Amino acid sequence: MIHITINGKVVQAKDGEMLLTVIRREKIDVPTLCHHEAVEPSGACRLCMVEITKPEWDGWCDYVTSCLYPAADGLIVNTHAKKVNELRSSILDMYLARHPKSPEIRQLAAEYGVLKTQFEEVVDGDNCILCGICTRICDTMGFHAISMVGRGHGKEVAPPLNMAPTACVGCLSCAKNCPTNYIEYNMENGGLTIWKKDFEMVACTECGKTTITKEFAEYLSKNRDINIDYFRKCDECHRKELAGTMGRISNWDREARS
Amino acid sequence: MKHNFENLHTIFDKYPKSQESLIAILQDIQKEYQYLPCEALEQTSEVLDVPLSTVFSVSTFYNSFSLTAKGEKIIKVCTGTACHIRGAKLLQDQLETHLKIKAGETTEDMKFTLEVVACVGACAMAPVVVVGDKYHGSVKVSRVKKLVKAK
Repeated sequence: MIHITINGKVVQAKDGEMLLTVIRREKIDVPTLCHHEAVEPSGACRLCMVEITKPEWDGWCDYVTSCLYPAADGLIVNTHAKKVNELRSSILDMYLARHPKSPEIRQLAAEYGVLKTQFEEVVDGDNCILCGICTRICDTMGFHAISMVGRGHGKEVAPPLNMAPTACVGCLSCAKNCPTNYIEYNMENGGLTIWKKDFEMVACTECGKTTITKEFAEYLSKNRDINIDYFRKCDECHRKELAGTMGRISNWDREARS
Repeated sequence: MKHNFENLHTIFDKYPKSQESLIAILQDIQKEYQYLPCEALEQTSEVLDVPLSTVFSVSTFYNSFSLTAKGEKIIKVCTGTACHIRGAKLLQDQLETHLKIKAGETTEDMKFTLEVVACVGACAMAPVVVVGDKYHGSVKVSRVKKLVKAK
């Protein structure tokens, strides 16, 4: 265990643990767009920037992405120093210029006092900030269905060969974790379409509500050793069933006691 | 376009079957077919046990890889600073009208592909046009037709 100082408060941390993990554990609000605790940090969004210093640095400070900076003993961290806030608002200013229509970006920028960008707005842009959280999650889950394609101005997230990805099982993890809700999917008539691929959904045998895609259910039952019947019921019906089971158990207990 | 993919195995056999060989193999495929055919990418992914998404990501990242078939000869018009100053745009316009294609496209007979590149490192002889492997310096608009005549 080591000790670091965050905003004047001495806190404990594990040696080598990333600063952002410690900051979040201390319930300090540092904005991020590209961070997900389950995947490797990448430092793409630059918003988790903090000011760090040490007594022996003679007043010298450094500005680092806290998601990628390992905690070290005696480190003094300031998450909302004046310069850090300035850095964040200028980064958000650029985000706002590139994605003026994104409600998520606009809200975050407004929190840092940027209501209108000082740069020229991109008129026909999309809301993808290219943070790569979707591709990293897809890779971590082991599907590798989508990746960054091209580079520079033409860079985008896309499935291989721009065709419906065979590796995708329709788990929706990419879309649900996208910080700007850019990834489109369509869920209607008992089916799902994402990345131009059509999926059939498993319907609950009790109430008919759809749960997850057939492919995902098959993948989970095959690779995670879960009985496929488990996915043939929706959460609500599972809970109803559980209530019934628990009720029966307490009845047995009562009968046994009497 | 139909290809014979038997040669692919000779390429695969040259390298160890690991992710590190990916770029080397893609370069060899590019050399063999002048571009990266979809089937070749799929086979590469299978042989190296690298996800197809990674193979696609790498092949779209580098400009030296192309995913569309290219002509027998690739004409590169340099538009780097020196060439730009000395009239590269005029050469490009002339080539585009003469070949009836735009930059980045290939003629219908698959003979020529026209590309616009930024600096080929021969600024002293600007403006430069590279036809195949041959560098042509101080190119004049009137000489453009001659350059692509060697069919």
